[in-house]
Amino acid sequence: MVTSEEIERVSKLMKIDIHDHREYVDKVHAMIDFFDVLDSAGVDSEEISMQEISISNLRKDEHVPFDENLIKNLNHYKGTYVRAPKMSS
Amino acid sequence: MNLKISALEYVQEIQNGNISAEDYVAKTLERIQIIDDKLHAFLSVNEKAVEQAQQIDKKIKSGDEVGACFGMPISIKDNLCIKGSKTTCASKMLEDFVAPYDATVITKLKQQDAIFMGKVNMDEFAMGLTTEFSAFGPSSNPWNTDYVPGGSSGGSAVSVSAFECVASLGSDTGGSVRNPASFCSVVGYKPTYGLVSRYGLISYSNSIEQIGPLTRTVKDTAFMLNLISGFDSNDNTTINNQDQDYLSGIDSGIEGKKIGIIKEMLGDGTSAEVLSATKEAISRMESLGAICEEVSLDMVKYSVAAYYTITATEAGSNLARYDNLRYGYDFSVEGYEFNSYITKARQKFGPEVSRRIIIGGFVPSSGQAGKYFLKALKVKSKLTREISETFKKFDLLIAPTVPVLPFKKGEKIDDPVALFQVDINTVTANLTGRPSISVPFAMSNGLPIGMQLIADSNQDKLLLQAAHALEQTVTLPEIPI
Repeated sequence: MVTSEEIERVSKLMKIDIHDHREYVDKVHAMIDFFDVLDSAGVDSEEISMQEISISNLRKDEHVPFDENLIKNLNHYKGTYVRAPKMSS
Repeated sequence: MNLKISALEYVQEIQNGNISAEDYVAKTLERIQIIDDKLHAFLSVNEKAVEQAQQIDKKIKSGDEVGACFGMPISIKDNLCIKGSKTTCASKMLEDFVAPYDATVITKLKQQDAIFMGKVNMDEFAMGLTTEFSAFGPSSNPWNTDYVPGGSSGGSAVSVSAFECVASLGSDTGGSVRNPASFCSVVGYKPTYGLVSRYGLISYSNSIEQIGPLTRTVKDTAFMLNLISGFDSNDNTTINNQDQDYLSGIDSGIEGKKIGIIKEMLGDGTSAEVLSATKEAISRMESLGAICEEVSLDMVKYSVAAYYTITATEAGSNLARYDNLRYGYDFSVEGYEFNSYITKARQKFGPEVSRRIIIGGFVPSSGQAGKYFLKALKVKSKLTREISETFKKFDLLIAPTVPVLPFKKGEKIDDPVALFQVDINTVTANLTGRPSISVPFAMSNGLPIGMQLIADSNQDKLLLQAAHALEQTVTLPEIPI
């Protein structure tokens, strides 16, 4: 059973502000509790099958110039970089 | 001008010179202006559509080569990028995002002279099955506007059903094309995983989602699939289908085909009306010469939980890019510390997307992955094995697309688990990569019921043949709008 504290902790890690606390915690609770049905599936010994994807068909690894106007439209574009908020000290 | 014609009829009418692309597109635009206030299928309308149609008419008149669509009006789900057009994903986060490139499916349709009438409504980031989670308000079911049209490609289904376009493209992660197709009485198709390029589709759950057409007829779906399928170097999960023609031989019928009736998809949650329609569909398939037998797929019981665990995990990762540094909106960085800035910016996500991101952080996390994410992957593996075994004995599988009739707006929105259950019959095709189609089959109290057929991987042609055969046994009433 997942706890409200766990949901709040994960929300913070995922950078989701759960300002309307009940709207999020109660429903997330219900959703995760529903997943408990997986415990009855009896798949503990099952191997996880991976889909192999060929890497022979990858597109060429080459620089494709893009429309410069995209960069010019950025508000926080300074010279050759995009300005981000400062990291906490 | 008859806006109710199919895509193939449209092509025929243009080729015969009975209609012009300009007139047809202008009439379609007029209809959108008249009825879309009631339906809210469109989030944006292409104001240049008539001008583009005129260009195509010019090409036709001058004898130039014209693409297979001949100016056919098509609507596009708002999570597919059209260069220079807004692509909002029905989210405040991308409210002003203008796509800088075309999705592969858009490039292909442009090459075939399709005209995009506009971008259509959806649940935010395709997370939902009613369009009620659109940040710009829900769409309405044209059969009864008090009811949901299904989702997440609700706008696509509404626009085809209400004659606001001839065909549409949606995306199907757990039934998001087939569910609204069923609720709005149109054909909805989820191709074999990899048959259609996802390049330019805004990612939600890459490992299982596919772009698919919504049309008025199965033949139209085959026509659209011919145009959008095939290998794409920009999506290395695509498969080379050797330019298969899905339309040729579509009349082949289903005589002698073995069809499995999935027991777990006709359980307690199935409404009496849907159950009765399914029995009727089976009886008609048998009268066409198919051999129908019940089959059990034990893992279907766990498929919804596995589906939501896997998709939330992939969504949690995919949506990390919306940090207002890589993707986002105009919001000054002044006065914010790095983490608090990102958290503040991400408040533009709606509640359902936020909930799924939280779940997407929880279920694969250290200490929880064994109970949730890895178990979900194991269910997916076992379900895939079960269905592979089943297709050794059967050519096709049948089940209702949705176990219940369309429901009223607001009826289930506050109960996430009740909404989960609506997906029970559609997620199996996504989790196993199989192609699946919803065919309009019956009406009950003025609300549509769709029938779902599933085929083995790369058996899309066979699936369309069977769906066409079933469709031919059905006569449905005219839409009341």
